[in-house]
Amino acid sequence: MNLLADVVAPAPLVLDGLVVGAILFALGLVGILARRNLIVMFLCAELMLQGISVSLVSWSRHHGDWGGHVLVIFVLTVAACEAAVALVFVLQAFARTGRLDAAAWQSLRESNLSRTIDRELPAIDTVPPKFPKLTPAGVEPAADEDALLEREHV
Amino acid sequence: MNDISPSTLLALVPLLPLVGAILTVALGRVLGSRAHLPAIAGIAAAFVVAVMLLSGMAREVGVGSTGHDHAAKPVEMVTTLWQWAGIGDAAAPGDGNSAAKAFAIPVALRLDPLTATLLVIITGVGLLVAIYSIGYMHGDPGYPRFFALVSAFVFSMSMLVAASNFLLVYVFWEAVGACSYLLIGFWFTKPEAAKAAKKAFLVNRIGDFGLAVATFLLWMTYGTLNFHDTTLADGTLVPGILGATRLADASAYVGGAVGTAICLLFLLAACGKSAQLPLHVWLPDAMEGPTPASSLIHAATMVTAGIYLVARTAPLFEACPGALTLVSIVGATTALVAALIGTVQNDLKRVLAYSTISQLGYMFAALGTGTLLGFTAAIFHLVTHAFFKALLFMGAGSVMHAMGGVIDMRRFGGLRRVMPITAATFLVGALALAGVAPFAGFFSKDEILASLHSRGWPDAHGEHHDAAPAGGHAATGATFHLASVTPDAAQFAGGARGSALDALNTPATWRILFWMSLVTAALTAFYTFRAVFMTFTGPTRVPDEAGHHAHESPPSMTIPLAILAALSAVSGWWLFSTHSLASFLASTPSFTAPAVASTATPPAFHWDLAIQGTLAAAIGIVVAALGHLGRRSDGPQMERFLGPLETLFANRFFFDQIYSALIVKPLEMVATLAAMIDRHLIDGLVDTIARIPVALGSVVRHLQSGLVQRYALAGVIGTLLIVLALVARAMG
Amino acid sequence: MIASILPSISPGTLLAGGITATAASLWLLLPSGRSGAADRTARWLGWLLGIVALASFLATGHRLGSVGEEAVFLTVALVAVISGAATVVSRSPVYAAIWFAMALAGVAGVLLVLGGQFLGVATIVVYAGAILVMFLFVLMLAQPAGLAPYDRVSNEPLLAAVAGAVLLGILSLSIGRLTAEPPSCCLMSGTKAALLAGSGSAAEPTSAAEAGIDMLADNHVARLGGELFGRHLLAVEVAGVLLLVALIGSIAIVSRGAADAAPAAARRVAP
Repeated sequence: MNLLADVVAPAPLVLDGLVVGAILFALGLVGILARRNLIVMFLCAELMLQGISVSLVSWSRHHGDWGGHVLVIFVLTVAACEAAVALVFVLQAFARTGRLDAAAWQSLRESNLSRTIDRELPAIDTVPPKFPKLTPAGVEPAADEDALLEREHV
Repeated sequence: MNDISPSTLLALVPLLPLVGAILTVALGRVLGSRAHLPAIAGIAAAFVVAVMLLSGMAREVGVGSTGHDHAAKPVEMVTTLWQWAGIGDAAAPGDGNSAAKAFAIPVALRLDPLTATLLVIITGVGLLVAIYSIGYMHGDPGYPRFFALVSAFVFSMSMLVAASNFLLVYVFWEAVGACSYLLIGFWFTKPEAAKAAKKAFLVNRIGDFGLAVATFLLWMTYGTLNFHDTTLADGTLVPGILGATRLADASAYVGGAVGTAICLLFLLAACGKSAQLPLHVWLPDAMEGPTPASSLIHAATMVTAGIYLVARTAPLFEACPGALTLVSIVGATTALVAALIGTVQNDLKRVLAYSTISQLGYMFAALGTGTLLGFTAAIFHLVTHAFFKALLFMGAGSVMHAMGGVIDMRRFGGLRRVMPITAATFLVGALALAGVAPFAGFFSKDEILASLHSRGWPDAHGEHHDAAPAGGHAATGATFHLASVTPDAAQFAGGARGSALDALNTPATWRILFWMSLVTAALTAFYTFRAVFMTFTGPTRVPDEAGHHAHESPPSMTIPLAILAALSAVSGWWLFSTHSLASFLASTPSFTAPAVASTATPPAFHWDLAIQGTLAAAIGIVVAALGHLGRRSDGPQMERFLGPLETLFANRFFFDQIYSALIVKPLEMVATLAAMIDRHLIDGLVDTIARIPVALGSVVRHLQSGLVQRYALAGVIGTLLIVLALVARAMG
Repeated sequence: MIASILPSISPGTLLAGGITATAASLWLLLPSGRSGAADRTARWLGWLLGIVALASFLATGHRLGSVGEEAVFLTVALVAVISGAATVVSRSPVYAAIWFAMALAGVAGVLLVLGGQFLGVATIVVYAGAILVMFLFVLMLAQPAGLAPYDRVSNEPLLAAVAGAVLLGILSLSIGRLTAEPPSCCLMSGTKAALLAGSGSAAEPTSAAEAGIDMLADNHVARLGGELFGRHLLAVEVAGVLLLVALIGSIAIVSRGAADAAPAAARRVAP
């Protein structure tokens, strides 16, 4: 593996930065491939970008110029654009299917394959959330039950 | 116009109708009911040019000045427009049968007396038919298409007779066939018309096959396909098949088996195109096309292509006397059979169609004699037949036009009071066809009978000539002697090796053929006048389809009728009395071959034959008059006397049924068998092979889940595998 | 430091073990629809394995030689990596977003240690301050109540985990190859001191490599700006246009899509 063998000996911290960047990149990749929530997939993509940013800055340090820094700034810019546009797509997708599920979009499968349906998932052993209880002061206000329920699981 | 070279003029003759056809196609929608203008302008201009060429050629030959010169010099003019195809080494000379010779196909046009005559006939009759069609086709939705096709036909036919190369002949042989197919099927929504077009096409295909194989054999045998002599770049002379070099040499043409095969294939081709036995079945059905097309293509011009072909290749036939005799046998038999069938047809156009077949048979009979008289008689009859048969067809079309499309003679009668011009012109045409003096058919038929007679009774014919008042000519006894011995001596001079067919070439055969032709003449007169009497005499009856006012046709239809009637009346007498056509045609290169030229006889009027022919015609007319004159046309007049023969004739000698049983049915069985093998064996095999990828695919297709993440995963794994392979190689 | 604990293990074995541990850890941690108790066990096991894997990667890493610098770097790096892993494996997207914010903080720290002062701050401001908040807004709009089924299962978790681990292995292998050359760490004492002190006073370049970079100078941001708006001015303009286009595009899509999606939403609600 002589891909990098001819570079100058790396400066300190450069290698460590590269390892951190690689770990972040790999983690993001696993998330992209495995997680089905569109938002989480998106976060994982951003995580990959972060890994790349770290790597770029490491190389910038190694070479002693500003290229890596400048590139990271552009990565930030593009990430912002990407986030704006892609989140709009996510919203549209949600508006159409009611789900944030990447597997909800399966129209391009082979014609006679059945739709992927999640197998029966075991019920969640719901632990009722325990909210801190304060000593009641004064008259308890009339709470809207629905509003309370909606906030139960965020 | 003298500043235009003859070669330019020659190229103009086919070009102008072609331009007319293209313009008609391009502007057809814009012009609407004036769509005939480009076509007619093109054909008319071509006609003018053709007449100029003919007069120029006549001046060159010197017609009329020296009368009959038995040493007629070949006159031809060849224009090579461009080189169409060239294969192989053009420098390789040679006249042997080497297949390694250069194959060069020039687009060459030729002008000689035969071509010039035919060009005038084609463009002239074509022009009259086109003018006639203005009235006849008026209001038809396919009006522009019709004129485009007629124009294209005139182009193709002009090229066919002007081509100086057998491959070009083949190309335009097919082109006229295509035009014929399209015009027969002009009303293609009518099932009968579509079927008739298909039938004509398929039957013609047999003949075309013969022409193609004959062309191959010619190439193998003579090493060139050109008619004319050509000079190569290195100065080598390649003698053309009908070029001056070869024509001058009496033994230059291959006889024997190969020569006979070539000639028989030519005969097959001619039989297909000219509707001779046994390939005649398409022509009666071709009457489903518009009448002007029938008139032009299926009576006057295209069907004479076979005559042209045999006349053009006369030197080849001369080398094979057996094949030549067979031409006459086919012709005379066709003439008789078609005439017999024609006697019982009730459809006016069908009568004329069988008459056409019969008359073409006459021409073939004359061609088969192999004498100069026979060839010129055949072309003479071709010319007169073009006039009177076009006239008769147009007259029939005029009747059909007035009768609202009805053409069954039993449903109308006494039309001379309704449409006098048509009746008068039709009568002229019928007289010409029947061979009544002094109309055109009388003279040409007389010459044909004379040519047959000269072969059947060579000695008597010679004596007859001696007795004939042929004084003013420079003919000598030696010439007569030569004429009488020619049939055997000159023909066997060409090829010492004869073929089995040559055994047919006996005076007895020719006598039988002569008598057959005479009977045919009587039958011709009978069926022609039967049609005339049924249509124009008797009580006036008009079918319901004609509406309330059956009327004479418009001038655009009657004027061509009148012109053709005039030509039918006088052209025979004029051409015969001056001998201009015969002496003119004698200068055609093909007819100057020694074998042909040595048979030249002084022009003569054969009183005995004329009397025999006229008697035969008179008998036919009298019998027809006894049966049909002044009677209702739907009564059972003659046919009841024929008994079982009537069934035979009415069913056209069961030709269609025999073909169906012998050819169509077995072919259908073979096709059914092939279809079963194809459907079950071959398709089954293919289907089995096709199931393998389907089976594989049904396994692999589950990967195609439509889930983007799976695809991404697959992409990542693939990339990693590639990188791992690189790493392993770099490390390893 | 850790390498000294595990001196007897060869780097290759260490790498293989690290990859295996990473794959197993991620597989256990990723949501897979197990029932409550099994899921909890798997997650604990996964975190344990993850620590093992992390340790093995640290063991393969290059040492700095300075305890202080290493400690600071390790701290921020561990924050980044562990928070990143938590982002990936969190069931609830909201938790994932919050873990992502934590990871951003760690990354910002790493960037700071590596000399990217401006970038570290910008990452916090832009990502944590703007983009992440946007994510949370979207989650607020879109996330239904409770834990959705698709958050409780993963797409091919085993394959994905193995693929990620193998990628990590390849990357660290190639990074590790760099250390085949003797590091020039001995020249870095001045820089190191300056970094730890957080000031630019001692920023004299001490090597050829350091001469051009001089990231710890007190006019760092000004020099980055000079670089950005000097050599890369055109690219900056293009990036600006890109931002504008993305802005307009988002508005266009969201306003058109709302009209299109309304019938679909109505259909969905009807049954």
